[in-house]
Amino acid sequence: MLKINSLISGYGSVQILNGANMKVEAQSIVALLGGNGTGKSTILKACSGLIRSWSGSISFNGEEIHNKPPHKIVEKGLVQVTQGKDVFPAMSVIENLRLGGFVLNSKQKLEDNLQKVFDYFPRLDERKNQLAATLSGGELQMLCIGRGLMSNPKMIMLDEPSAALAPQIVLDIFKNINRIRKDGLTVLVVEQNVRMALLLADYGYVIKDGVIKVEGDSKKLMYDDTVKDSYLGGGGTTANV
Amino acid sequence: MFKTFKFTRKVENILMLIFTAIFLVYISLSPDMNIDSLKGVLIIGVTVGIIYGLVAVGISLIYTGLDVVNFSHGEFFMIGAFTGLTVYNFLVDGELIYAIFPEAYGVVGYVIGLFFAFVLMGLFGVFIERVFLRPLTKKGGGYTVAGMGIIICGFGLSVILQNVAYLIWNPTAHPFHADLGLPINIAGITLPMTYLWMLVTGFVVAGALYFFLNKTKMGLGVRAVAFSKDISNLVGINVPLYISIIFGIACALAGIAGTLVGPTYQVVVYMGYIILLKAFASAVVGGFGSLPGAIVGGFTVGLFETACSFFISGSHKDAYAFLLMVVVLLIKPTGFFGVQVKMKA
Repeated sequence: MLKINSLISGYGSVQILNGANMKVEAQSIVALLGGNGTGKSTILKACSGLIRSWSGSISFNGEEIHNKPPHKIVEKGLVQVTQGKDVFPAMSVIENLRLGGFVLNSKQKLEDNLQKVFDYFPRLDERKNQLAATLSGGELQMLCIGRGLMSNPKMIMLDEPSAALAPQIVLDIFKNINRIRKDGLTVLVVEQNVRMALLLADYGYVIKDGVIKVEGDSKKLMYDDTVKDSYLGGGGTTANV
Repeated sequence: MFKTFKFTRKVENILMLIFTAIFLVYISLSPDMNIDSLKGVLIIGVTVGIIYGLVAVGISLIYTGLDVVNFSHGEFFMIGAFTGLTVYNFLVDGELIYAIFPEAYGVVGYVIGLFFAFVLMGLFGVFIERVFLRPLTKKGGGYTVAGMGIIICGFGLSVILQNVAYLIWNPTAHPFHADLGLPINIAGITLPMTYLWMLVTGFVVAGALYFFLNKTKMGLGVRAVAFSKDISNLVGINVPLYISIIFGIACALAGIAGTLVGPTYQVVVYMGYIILLKAFASAVVGGFGSLPGAIVGGFTVGLFETACSFFISGSHKDAYAFLLMVVVLLIKPTGFFGVQVKMKA
């Protein structure tokens, strides 16, 4: 569904990605793993059009999408959910969700999607008239994912959905991600929480220094010593799976 | 050491109240103080205030949308006034409008003038943004080097627009004889019709803006882009288009304010500069970047200025707005509605 071919990109004159190759099959959950500053978020930003791709190509559903304006990419059905807490704090929860469905043209569709999101996250329904600034960390993450789902995407890219959240809430959110996939969406999840991400995903990529170093079935990756030692700082994170 | 000195919110409010109380006591001791003059000051102050408010809302909108202060905003006010004047004179000098509305030709001509000032200035604003500011916003805008460029560009644009107006309308002061009928009497105060038009139209436009921003989809998009361009991009808003819309609305508001002010003074090439500074003061008093704050700041500055020039001395009329701005910045640096930090994604 999403194909990234030798992508080179970065911020300003600083090159971050040095030719990354990735492939995300339809209706799967793919995990993109790696330490800090390895280029995980940069890949997502290049896919959603927030930064320019210097060379290489990104195609979504067979269409070239690199260097297209971000709103066109959202219209095509590829939505990025940024790292936690990126909401409009001065707007109510329901206004935040309405903004998520900004590309929809019919009111009826908007209401339908609103119901769908409230079905995934009943907590948001309870708090729909509250200002987003008053939500807790977990609720903010739910709001971000919910907002991403509002525009009827075909594929959703999550940037560290587990960052700075309590384990119980992480579990809850990951369950919902699984449910979203079962409803027919494709999910690309960028994570630092390697164990949780690999438990959830079907396939995994490990990125280091802007290139994909290891890829494979998530069950295999979980016991792969090269992943553990070379790319994730060794020991600890995956040792007691 | 001095930098760490800061009032808490509560102390700020108490100090503001003390300042207001001293000010009220001082003006109430004035020999001119009586109920009629107070009513007059109130009405004139609110009328002038809504005009400052409209221009200040434009400045605040551009500040939130582009992250820069638009120093050429006064010129849009001035060109708006000229546009309204030209349209009005064109219509009233011709025979057509007499033939259709023999009774109320002035009012009809004025309304059409207001409409044209609003629409044409909006389009002109979009044009200016697309042609002159877009290359800079593309390079980053806001708090970057390119953002600094936009500020300088604003000063340059101000000079250029003044000179363009100078070429088109020449530098003499143009009287704006809007024939709107006889002055009316409100609560014992004789008010020229031009002031009533300012008051009513100002409130209608402010109300329409509130409705637009809070109840329509486009308004929701404008608010989203004003807060964060990155998140707006990710929810599928066409951010460059919305920046143009924001600039256009701000300029349209300045244009209609110019046509509203025109008949009370004269229309002259240099009228933009003082209104820019006063609207800036209003925006600061209300809290920079806050739209309700800009309107409230406009009222505050308008009332303060009118009261001071009536009860203290009319010869320093233009200084009072800045006196108020300095006081507010000293006591309550965020203004009435301002937030401490504007969070940026």
